[in-house]
Amino acid sequence: MTGTSSPAPPTTDPRATADPPPSETSSPAVGAPWKAAESPRPAEPRSTTEQPPRRAEQPPGAGELPSISEHSPLAAEPVIAEAPDSAGGLPAPAEAPATTPSRAVERPLPAEAYGAALAGLPGMGPARLSAVLAVASPAEAWSHAAAGGSWGDAEVVRALGARGAEVVQRWAAAAREVDVAAAWEALVASDVEVTLYGRPGYPDVLAGDVEPPAVLFHRGDPGVIAGPRVAIVGTRQCSSVGVAVAFELGRDLGAAGVVVVSGLAAGIDGAAHRGVMAARSAPPVGVVGSGLDVVYPPGQTALWRAVGRTGVLLSEAPLGARPERWRFPARNRIIAACADLVVVVESHRRGGSLHTVDEADRRGIDVMAVPGSVRNSAAAGTNDLLAEGRAPVCSADDVLVALGLGAGGRDPAADRRPPPEPADRAVLDAVGWQPATLDQLVLRTEVGLATLAPALDRLCEAGWLARRGGWYERVGGPDAA
Amino acid sequence: MLSSVGSATLLGVEGRPVRVEVHVSSGLPGFTVVGLPDTTCREARDRVRAALLSSRLTWPSARVTVNLAPPGLRKVGSGLDLPIAVGLLAASEQLPPDSVMGRAFVGELGLDGSVRPVPGALPLIDALTEPEIVVPEPCAVEAHLVGRHRVRPVGSLGALVAALAGLAEWPVPPEPAPPVPPPPGPDLSEVRGQPAARFALEVAAAGGHHLLLVGPPGAGKTMLARRLPGLLPELSPDHALEATCIHSAAGLPLPPGGLIRRPPFRAPHHGASAVSLVGGGSGTMQPGEVSLAHRGVLFLDELGEFDPTVLDSLRQPLEEGVIRVARAAAKVTYPACLLLVAAMNPCPCGEGGAPGSCRCSPAARARYARRLSGPLVDRFDMRVEVGRPEVTELLSKDGAEPTHEVATRVAAARAVATRRGVQANAQIPSWRLDDVAPMDREARRLVERTLRAGRLTGRGLGGIRRVARTVADLAGHDGPLSVPHVTTALALRAEPTFLDGRAA
Repeated sequence: MTGTSSPAPPTTDPRATADPPPSETSSPAVGAPWKAAESPRPAEPRSTTEQPPRRAEQPPGAGELPSISEHSPLAAEPVIAEAPDSAGGLPAPAEAPATTPSRAVERPLPAEAYGAALAGLPGMGPARLSAVLAVASPAEAWSHAAAGGSWGDAEVVRALGARGAEVVQRWAAAAREVDVAAAWEALVASDVEVTLYGRPGYPDVLAGDVEPPAVLFHRGDPGVIAGPRVAIVGTRQCSSVGVAVAFELGRDLGAAGVVVVSGLAAGIDGAAHRGVMAARSAPPVGVVGSGLDVVYPPGQTALWRAVGRTGVLLSEAPLGARPERWRFPARNRIIAACADLVVVVESHRRGGSLHTVDEADRRGIDVMAVPGSVRNSAAAGTNDLLAEGRAPVCSADDVLVALGLGAGGRDPAADRRPPPEPADRAVLDAVGWQPATLDQLVLRTEVGLATLAPALDRLCEAGWLARRGGWYERVGGPDAA
Repeated sequence: MLSSVGSATLLGVEGRPVRVEVHVSSGLPGFTVVGLPDTTCREARDRVRAALLSSRLTWPSARVTVNLAPPGLRKVGSGLDLPIAVGLLAASEQLPPDSVMGRAFVGELGLDGSVRPVPGALPLIDALTEPEIVVPEPCAVEAHLVGRHRVRPVGSLGALVAALAGLAEWPVPPEPAPPVPPPPGPDLSEVRGQPAARFALEVAAAGGHHLLLVGPPGAGKTMLARRLPGLLPELSPDHALEATCIHSAAGLPLPPGGLIRRPPFRAPHHGASAVSLVGGGSGTMQPGEVSLAHRGVLFLDELGEFDPTVLDSLRQPLEEGVIRVARAAAKVTYPACLLLVAAMNPCPCGEGGAPGSCRCSPAARARYARRLSGPLVDRFDMRVEVGRPEVTELLSKDGAEPTHEVATRVAAARAVATRRGVQANAQIPSWRLDDVAPMDREARRLVERTLRAGRLTGRGLGGIRRVARTVADLAGHDGPLSVPHVTTALALRAEPTFLDGRAA
């Protein structure tokens, strides 16, 4: 491979800045799990969060873990790697296409097909994938990996870590089992698109990031990641107050035309996106850790589908990738990278949301936090953030002001709801800003149920009201419409 | 000597005729009862002996065999005391043999010779084919309800023997006290505010739709539910007799006049066991609360506190209108055609109705939600969130609509349902919905949209159409269902907040 790519990658490549220094490659216990190694950065006061106790599995870049390859759908059986020995050395560039499957020769596959296939190799974390694709085109990199060729480029060697040779052998063993063309067809059939870093269609926001995902799997148009964007994150083990706050933030920010980025997890993340969906205004952006066909947590299927339909669902993981623990910190960096501002609704003192905060800090993105009760352990992390001097969020207005939108800065065009009829308007006013039951509404409007019920149905349908159980809630900011 | 006397025993809530054959012969003195008697029935021997001696009659010092035919049917209860005693007297020639011909006897004997009432007198008497029947005095009312027999109420064995032997006239029962009108139930005008919940009550009464009231403590759920029976029309003579049979079989006191004319209202505590709710029991089978509420209202307060398995045992009776109890001793079918009304808090802390106001942990809420199975919740075609009434409503002096006005509308809507051939709209079978509850174009579009949005399941759709039909009937609307009817039905079918994520 050195024959083709021995020239160092262009130093303008933003990924070069994210490459970890070689000195720390051998200290896998330190650093974000999804990275090959720790990157140089100033010591943070919350360094404890960098070693969350939950990190039982080590990242693929940090060492050899058979458990990872077991989870990979592409390495169904451990294959004894003998090919690298025979194929050893450095294949000439001309040989590389010859080793690709014959089907690919018949009908050239797009580079995205090879990018997706590479992402599916065992032990192929984001750092390794970026490094590999920086020195070779996806097709070349695939054929080289399938041949078990060694990698001469310094960045790749660094990303591969101390036991790089084994990784390369596993790649070769796994790649021999993969029919790239069939995998590509499956991808296309499952309505998942692939966008490569540096190619047209790659979201600008991520292209300028310090660690952009080399291969992006998505459902929906990644072009919606534009305009004012806020990440709403938080713990899965949240209080119901946290859920309600996240729902309202998502709903009101969405109604104000702000793109809400979140992780679609249980708890805060899901609630925020449910709020966005209730507002039916700005498109939602969901970033998930597993493959786009592996819904996690399992209860979120409807939400996943809705986000993919009305906004975009992003993942760095190939189809079939299980929600392995190391994938979530990697996902958190994409959430942070997608946002102008990160809002933490509830987080435990050592919560994974704080990792998103660290990623936001690395990128100079402001972080705000929702104050919580001192007795609520799910708010301990967010209260710590406030103690550090982060700005508090008590309502969507605080976020809008921080974004520079303010009350007047809202985009009325973002409110795509049809204005209510005058009669419905009166019903909407009767609902007010507190959740109301049917009883209360009949009393306030003094019209019969036969008039009220159709009006409520119209208002719910148009997105002015949300119904939760027997309660009707008004959707949107106080000055909307 | 041999004698044969007519009587009856209970199987479930139905009476079955029994022949009591008594044989008295010379031999070692003894007394044997054969023919599958239960314990109470076997104990008849000692009661009969004492009653005979107390009445100055002779206990034959001979070998006595009592056979209860048919022998395959299990005989329960003490109602066979009297026929055994009479049969014994006839067989031992203390009574003329023809005195028991064409007569049947039901009653329990006291040791002093008094004749006491037995539970289930109404179904027992209903099973008797003899033209003349002898019953305990308190059971005369029930005997007259059946109306097919010449009724001879008796108070004591001595009086009965005298009458049978022709030594005295048949005792004339004291004139029954004129029926006291039952005290009026709680009135709907006492409910302040809550117009939607009141309307839900009216729809439930008119259409027989099962109703779930969800709300915080003090919202008035129980108050509302207790006013539901008052809205229901009087039972038809057939239904009244069915309900009376069940109450009689359970040994519950009957109203003056004997016949249960008002729909029964049963409100078992949430500690109820499955057997007490659906019926059964070891030894004597008893109808459960679902059967006692037959043709009436079963009110389950604090639904979330009932044992989940107990609640799930309600699913079959709610679906089929009968409960089949099978035990080793017998298989019994109890009728259970009822209107189920349940009340519960939205979550353990009770405040979870309004979004964001609950103090429960998600785990506690999830545990609470698990207590109610989806299929059971599905049985409720109406689920109404009841909020605490607002202060101004509580203090307002304006009288709300009283029960009798609402009941008039309910009766009119029920009359419409009767013309359709059902007792209430809730019983319209699915295959008749297109015929009975068609929807206009707008309403169909609305329902289609709701189905597509996943806010309604196919099963829920049938419920919505039945409820919408009742809403239309109450409004005096005869044509196809239109948008106001359907949206009202949808508004009255809230997805309980604690079941977030489950489609209605």
